[in-house]
Amino acid sequence: MTLTFGQIIALMGAALAVALPGIGSARGVGLVGESASGLITEDPSKFGQSLILQAIPGTQGIYGFLAGFLTIQKIGLLSGNLVDITPLQGWLIFASCMPIALVGFLSAIYQGRVSAAAIGIISKRPEEVAKGITFAAMVETYAVLSLLATILMLFGISI
Amino acid sequence: MAIVKMEKMHLLALKSEQSKLMQTLQKTGIVEVIDITGDKKEEEKQGHKEDRIRDEIAKELAELETKLNNLKLGIDFLKPYSKSPNPLIYGKPDVKKDELSKILSNETKIAESLQRVFDLDKKIAQLKSEESKILNQIDFLIPWQGLDIPLEQLGNTDRTAFVAVVIPRKSKDKLEEKAKESQLPLDIKVIGEKRDDLYALIVYHRGCNEDVQSLFKEFSVTIQDFMGLKGTPNDIIEQSKRRLNDIQKEREDIKTQAQGMNQDLFNFEVLYDYYMVEKDRKTNTLKLFDTDKSFYLQAWLPKERKSYITDTISKITDMVYVEFTEPEENDDIPVLLSNSKLVEPFEVITELYSLPDPRGIDPNPYMAPFYWLFFGMMLSDAGYGIILSLFTAVALLKFKLEGSGRKFVSMFFLCGISTIIWGAIFGGWFGDLIKIKPLWINPLDNPMSVLILSFILGIIQIFTGIILNGYKNIRAGNTADAIMDQGLWLVLLTGLLMFAIQPLAGIAKYVALFGAIGLILTQGRAQKNPIMKLASGVMSLYSVTGYLSDLLSYSRLLALGLTTGVIATVINTMAKTVGGSAIGFVVMILILLGGHVFNILINILGAYVHSSRLQYIEFFSKFYDSGGRAFDPLRIKTTYVKLEDL
Repeated sequence: MTLTFGQIIALMGAALAVALPGIGSARGVGLVGESASGLITEDPSKFGQSLILQAIPGTQGIYGFLAGFLTIQKIGLLSGNLVDITPLQGWLIFASCMPIALVGFLSAIYQGRVSAAAIGIISKRPEEVAKGITFAAMVETYAVLSLLATILMLFGISI
Repeated sequence: MAIVKMEKMHLLALKSEQSKLMQTLQKTGIVEVIDITGDKKEEEKQGHKEDRIRDEIAKELAELETKLNNLKLGIDFLKPYSKSPNPLIYGKPDVKKDELSKILSNETKIAESLQRVFDLDKKIAQLKSEESKILNQIDFLIPWQGLDIPLEQLGNTDRTAFVAVVIPRKSKDKLEEKAKESQLPLDIKVIGEKRDDLYALIVYHRGCNEDVQSLFKEFSVTIQDFMGLKGTPNDIIEQSKRRLNDIQKEREDIKTQAQGMNQDLFNFEVLYDYYMVEKDRKTNTLKLFDTDKSFYLQAWLPKERKSYITDTISKITDMVYVEFTEPEENDDIPVLLSNSKLVEPFEVITELYSLPDPRGIDPNPYMAPFYWLFFGMMLSDAGYGIILSLFTAVALLKFKLEGSGRKFVSMFFLCGISTIIWGAIFGGWFGDLIKIKPLWINPLDNPMSVLILSFILGIIQIFTGIILNGYKNIRAGNTADAIMDQGLWLVLLTGLLMFAIQPLAGIAKYVALFGAIGLILTQGRAQKNPIMKLASGVMSLYSVTGYLSDLLSYSRLLALGLTTGVIATVINTMAKTVGGSAIGFVVMILILLGGHVFNILINILGAYVHSSRLQYIEFFSKFYDSGGRAFDPLRIKTTYVKLEDL
């Protein structure tokens, strides 16, 4: 199988779209896990609430995976017959992968920090956890928007 | 529907009937006693008699508190051993009146079994400390196991001394050399070793005691003291192990005893709840204002229950005066919500944010339909919806859920139905596992249409919010404000929206312009200076960006819907690639099961979080006054059992 330059560029876009938000989510989820473990040593009954907070920064990784999947589906890698892609199309696909790759990466880390801080809410006032979740969801908005931008751009490219 | 109207009850009655009346009020469970002692403090201080009565109640309360604490300790001790059904799932057991009075008459006996529980608890603590002591001893003796002399025989004989010592491993050879050089009559027998130390028996002639001691000092040899232990180390370890076995047996024994105390546990629980109810009542009695022979009580109650309360009270006594008044300007009115069966489950979303201001409006009837629609659209898979509704329906039918737990589960049940509908519309049945043609379109084929639908839903919700704000203004008598603020904004936004619809684009300009000019002219009306009036009018138009970002936020309806669908498809694709052989088939089923369970959970979380967010940030910000305090009436509030006919 010979790969064209365009295909390589497109694949690099897909790889970054999966990898960067994945790294970010791992960081974010990890941050929350660290704070949550501190809380659980004191009060194991708060596990459920903490787990929800920990899951929140994990979504960027899923968004990135989603974008990567849509990209490799678009270039026909999944079905096994790779579509011929010109370098221009390759760069277009690469560019459309960038919003979720970059925003997903950074927003997951920031969201992880917000969620980790919200663990403090659970420890002191567990009934107010919904507010902590809302704060974290505020950060998520930008990941959702960038995922949407990625998908719309990807669907707009004709190959 | 909406926020229940509250009225203030004023009740004057005789002191002699106080406890009877309080009991009756507690049984109705619909009045919240107001603490009025705070503003009557000065007067109260003048009458010593009330102080005495108050002190008495306070003393009774302290006694109750001790009893409750003890019972709680007993319950907490026995609970892990009992196999009583989970009350969260099976509901609290019902305790009838005769059963309760039987338990109450047996109180001394129950106190005895409580004492027995404390003894067991103490015994467990003792066993635990003994166990750790023995374990330490075994640990300490293990390196000495090779020593076959009973420990008490170590020490001096006529001429020689036997000592057990610990020698640093690296200095042993040097020590021996030095002893040889100076011809000391000394023999070292290594018995055991542990890390950097050697454990040894040293025999030497007592005549050269001093030389040996200085030699020990030089090579940091420490003489082991066995603290009066008797027998060879091996024997002691054997004994200790036997004792450990016994301890284990004693533990088992305590465990069976505790397990056999199921009935006692139940008695403790009933008593605990009974005293808790009494404590509630007494605490509330402290909120009253009383004189020598009479007392005065203020309480909130729902307006529509007025006649019920007067009826109930008149059945008890006629020596009572009751009056109802409307809340005053500064009163801290508690909030009780009352909504239809379909809206009620969604109250939990508002409660998690904050209860409405008692003088504001209840957002739930307006919020619920949007929440329901948005949740379904974000989860958007009919298969997942069926699973969600099925599980929650089983939970609702089988388990006796109460309070906000029940609301939550019912809410997910309703949202599951919404998910089924949206899934059918978008053609998602476990992703593409079951291929059914979508009723409308597949969002993957035509994301733009679904995006536009998301925005339309967003526009409807934002407009609803603005209209509700206008309604609030009109209700408060500020019709002019409603027209100038909310009315003009609606005109401007409608005008802007009309630009997007081709045939209307012509007149859109004029509508938008009318709204904009109206806003410029009216929004500065609070300012005095005419230039400032105009400036703040123009500045107010900047809020358009706020509305725009609110609207764009609704694009998450599409984005989260796509996420569910695509990940489900990925799971199906992965599963299909391994199928074929028998093992492949099993792996395929595992991937499908695990994958879809994961996808359901993560997307339910997403749908819940994001549809809540759309309500909190985009919808509530338009009109909602939060900050209410929940109505917390004096009632029979129990933890473990139901004491209905008290």
